[in-house]
Amino acid sequence: MSSAQIEIQLIASLVAIACAIPGTFLVLRKMALISDAISHSILPGLVLGFFITQDLSSPWLIVMAALSGVVTVILVEYIQKTNLVKEDTAIGLVFPTMFSIGVILIAKNANDVHLDIDVVLLGELAFTPFDRMMVGDVDLGPKSLWVIGIILSSTIGLLIAFFKELKISTFDKGLATTLGFSPAIIHYGLMSVASVTTVGAFDAVGAILVVALMIAPAATAYLLTTDLKKMLGLAMIFGVFSAIVGYWLAHYLDASISGSMTTILGLLFLLVYLIAPGKGLIAVLYRNKQQRIEVSLLTFLLHLNNHSEIEERHINHLNEHINWRKVRAKFVVDLALKNNMVTIDEDIISLTEKGRIFTEKAINYIISNDPTEIEAIKEDFFLFRG
Amino acid sequence: MCGYFREITSINLKFKHIDILKYIELVFTDYTLRTITLGTAILGAICGMLGSFAVLKKQSLLGDAISHAALPGIAIAFLITGTKDSNVLLIGALVSGLIGAFWIRGITRNTHLKSDTALGLILSTFFGFGMLLLTYIQKLPDANQSGLDKFLFGQAATLLVSDVWFMAIITFVCIIVLLLFWKEFKLLLFDPDFTKTLGFNTKFLDILITSFIVLAIVMGLQTVGVVLMSALLLAPAAAARQWTNSLRVMVMLAAMFGSLSGVLGTAISSSQANLSTGPVIVLIAGVFVLISFIFSPSRGLLFKQLRLIQNRKDLELHKTLTFMYDIAKNHHNKSHPHTIKILNNFQGFTKKTLQQLEHKNYITVEGQQWAMTEKGYEFAENMYNQQMVETHE
Repeated sequence: MSSAQIEIQLIASLVAIACAIPGTFLVLRKMALISDAISHSILPGLVLGFFITQDLSSPWLIVMAALSGVVTVILVEYIQKTNLVKEDTAIGLVFPTMFSIGVILIAKNANDVHLDIDVVLLGELAFTPFDRMMVGDVDLGPKSLWVIGIILSSTIGLLIAFFKELKISTFDKGLATTLGFSPAIIHYGLMSVASVTTVGAFDAVGAILVVALMIAPAATAYLLTTDLKKMLGLAMIFGVFSAIVGYWLAHYLDASISGSMTTILGLLFLLVYLIAPGKGLIAVLYRNKQQRIEVSLLTFLLHLNNHSEIEERHINHLNEHINWRKVRAKFVVDLALKNNMVTIDEDIISLTEKGRIFTEKAINYIISNDPTEIEAIKEDFFLFRG
Repeated sequence: MCGYFREITSINLKFKHIDILKYIELVFTDYTLRTITLGTAILGAICGMLGSFAVLKKQSLLGDAISHAALPGIAIAFLITGTKDSNVLLIGALVSGLIGAFWIRGITRNTHLKSDTALGLILSTFFGFGMLLLTYIQKLPDANQSGLDKFLFGQAATLLVSDVWFMAIITFVCIIVLLLFWKEFKLLLFDPDFTKTLGFNTKFLDILITSFIVLAIVMGLQTVGVVLMSALLLAPAAAARQWTNSLRVMVMLAAMFGSLSGVLGTAISSSQANLSTGPVIVLIAGVFVLISFIFSPSRGLLFKQLRLIQNRKDLELHKTLTFMYDIAKNHHNKSHPHTIKILNNFQGFTKKTLQQLEHKNYITVEGQQWAMTEKGYEFAENMYNQQMVETHE
């Protein structure tokens, strides 16, 4: 591994961590798409900054771009406040317009602007080690490393300083307001951090990866935990993991690093989406199936309880009487038998004493619809595990 | 900075020199221009129509996610077939757009992640995957891979007559389906639960409209590109929404705004060098939205502000009148004159309000004295009653 390779992975990892922090809060505050809007609409700011300074490495570029990100947020909120359109429409209107302005500005000045649309979308992570920070003759490492390092450390500083406030205002806006935290300050603070991070990361990894790095690790972590600190930690780990694995995938394919980082993030999410315990697709489908069986069993027992006539309790009749196409009737009968809820005597099914007591409890629960009632059944009900 | 401004002024200069009549003549005679103009007009129309449904269903950003999600499909279709035939590539885009759209539905339905997270996630990861494939394709040894990146920002100039015919047929089918299921779609938009209880298959209707939206987006990829496609879907619909409360009118207006953006965008971009059509169309659509936001008579910001000012004036007038009424009612003679000075400790009057009140014959002013008229007294009394009734309700 050459030093340039290590530097690229280091920059990518730092960007991933810097994005994961605001990203987690954006996901929790249901504002994930703001990152998309910001990442697109910093383009005109960047271009105008370039026109003013004529220098692609000037810090003014970052300031202008971050400003245009904040302007986007304000514009979106202003449009929302007029109630002319819904929130998501406001986002969808503002950022393509801003982005179009940026694209047109670049296209009209293609001759003297060294900004390339591809670079804007994808960044040039592979070239970052060549743009070095020099003080006199001393080489202080790649410039992007410094930029993202500064952004990351200030983000972490802000996170530690305002963790409590952020937490409360994210989960209970009303409480935060009554406790005297200004929701507006926290909101715009978060937006500014997101904006600055986007700009800083944009330089290295491009507009699209910024969005992916903000949303995907946080969303993946959210499927695994409901603890804010754990979620932040997991999001950072996922980000760094995708940075390093993504780098080597790109190296192997000789393709865009940010594209492959995003792909790894997507695959990671897909994996967790499928197998996350409790919240993953497989767990959800399994739970749905369990619940279907539980409901079928209850229906079955209630039916037995309601009818003392022999013909209603004949095993063949039950098959037609209760519409069980999805859950096999035999399965439910066997389940009931196994748990000593019923006995079968010459194809006639009758409730046992245990079954009767259980059914009574279930009826009680259904009639009262009181969550505390179900606690009593849960003990008996071998299937209730939730 | 200077260069930038010079550029702007030169645009303006060029604008003045465009002969509009000549351009219109060119649209009808020039093959390429005619194709592009027709193509963008049809595209704008279908996007406006379907966009109305997306906007009203609060799925505005679904279009953004789908258009980004279509990118890997294009790349994979190219990798498999090796052709750059746009129909083949667009089928790939269609498939991956649909996968993206239904995965978003799956995420929001099966997990506790909210729709914004699902949209952003699918959008960015699919797009990143597409870019990975595109950069991978670019470095492949055989040479005919260039030109795939036209799908990023679109190149209307690559539209062929066959593409336009294809668009026209899809639009026609879409209109037929909309007309056939109009009632159902309308019901679904405004009251999905009611639609379900009436026995309509809401899932089928939902999938139908989503599929049409995906189809419209995929058609637009070639012209407007992945990144800006969502705006063409949203902007005409958002503009049309401001002018009407009727779905029928809104859909028609949106189609009109969409086509106009297409035609005007093509005109402007074709008269300029170095100006890609997609961003210009999006900007024109944005201008339509801006105009609608400001000038729409019932919802627009301008008239809202004017109404606000008018209301405030009326309120001030009524405040002054109420104050006068409170003084006058304590006197046996309602029209007993009082000095204007006693109004001084009350902020809500100016010379203008007095003049207006006099103009309405509510009071008479003589020198430094004012007196209530019978009419004014009655009005103030009734106004007071009305207020009481309202607050009691």
